[in-house]
Amino acid sequence: MNNLKWIKVLLMFLVAFVLQVTVADWLKIFDHGPDLVIIFIVAVAIHHGPAAGCLWGFVAGFVQDVYAPVEWLGAHTISMTVLGFIVGQLEERFLTLNLPAKMGVLAFGFSICDMVYFFLTGMGKDVGTSLFLSETLPECIYTVVIGSLVFYLSTGKKKKHV
Amino acid sequence: MFRAVRFIVDLFTQRHGFLAFVFFLLIGILMRQAPVALKQSIINSALGTVFYPAQLLVSSIDGYKNIVQENEQLKEENARLRQETYHASEGLQELARLHSLVRFDDKWDFPIVTARVVGHNPGRFLTTLVINRGTYHGVKEDMPVFSMNGLVGKITKATYTHSRVQLLVDPNLKLSVLERRTRVVGFLESMDGHWLTAMVPTHAGVKEGDTLITSGLGGIFPKGIPVGLVKAVRKSDLDVVRMMDVAPFQEFSTLEEVFVMEKEPEWIIRELLDEQP
Repeated sequence: MNNLKWIKVLLMFLVAFVLQVTVADWLKIFDHGPDLVIIFIVAVAIHHGPAAGCLWGFVAGFVQDVYAPVEWLGAHTISMTVLGFIVGQLEERFLTLNLPAKMGVLAFGFSICDMVYFFLTGMGKDVGTSLFLSETLPECIYTVVIGSLVFYLSTGKKKKHV
Repeated sequence: MFRAVRFIVDLFTQRHGFLAFVFFLLIGILMRQAPVALKQSIINSALGTVFYPAQLLVSSIDGYKNIVQENEQLKEENARLRQETYHASEGLQELARLHSLVRFDDKWDFPIVTARVVGHNPGRFLTTLVINRGTYHGVKEDMPVFSMNGLVGKITKATYTHSRVQLLVDPNLKLSVLERRTRVVGFLESMDGHWLTAMVPTHAGVKEGDTLITSGLGGIFPKGIPVGLVKAVRKSDLDVVRMMDVAPFQEFSTLEEVFVMEKEPEWIIRELLDEQP
């Protein structure tokens, strides 16, 4: 990535976080809201590859860890780094992903990220499964809906340039 | 089969990013394995240098938007409160007289600091809030935090202008509670950072719909602050103990203002806390 792209991604990261702590709260339905930070990591990983995915996953995870219970420091960092790396394997430089494929990748990444997080925080199988069904699943669906809009808008913009 | 394995290995090794992944993963694992004191130090450094100033900026923008609307509401409220103050002052005078008559021990006679919530942990599992009051305003660590509806948590870190509030749903916060009807003392915690669970002796007969308040036994929270409502009672692994799902009176995700009670832990609790490594 050149300097301009770095600044662009940094700005996107800041916007995603500011929206996550403000707008995402207003968008909540039945106490479930979208995770804009995960959308950001998936978008960056798909667009710039696994190295950038890891880096921004690490940064975003660390920011979330700072506010999590002290004992859990590192859990978000690792889970989002893993997310960035796995999704980065589907980099657009090598593959062409259409919108439904990107939505699938987002849903897959979201689930992997939460499963790693539950594992690292030492949640038992029962608690983990229960949280996965009651929290991860609805929020994953909501995030995919919002993510599809983001991907659609970004793809549409590129097509116009072409 | 061999080709499939080869494809998977190639996928994760031959392309760029594998070294970056190992590097960031190692840092994450080191953080995860670090002693609690070091973890706290990492968090404090990050919070003090970047996060609090950034959150203050975000909350200022957010706050400015609501100022006009809030001003109108406050004017109306002010007029109403003026009326109520008149009646309340009459009542207070009478109450003071009665207190002196019955030597009433007012356990909640602590100054209150009103604070605005300026941030929370960005993750989906809300466990921490940041408020815009710190040591400059008299806020110290381990002071109870509550809202109009009930208990919110306690202060875990106080800087000069901001403080960090550990919510009831933080798995590291354990709380002694009292059931209002049966007067039985139990133990409240969150096992997963999301739901509250209380444990009480089986013989107590606590049932759905009962109310939990703070017991005052922990030394940090004064007795009598409403905590939550018992939603369900279920059996635990031990026959002598019942587990209860508790719905807190205060919905944490919608908190905007909180009150910090300037009550420091009782000396014996302070001594025990200081003894911790």
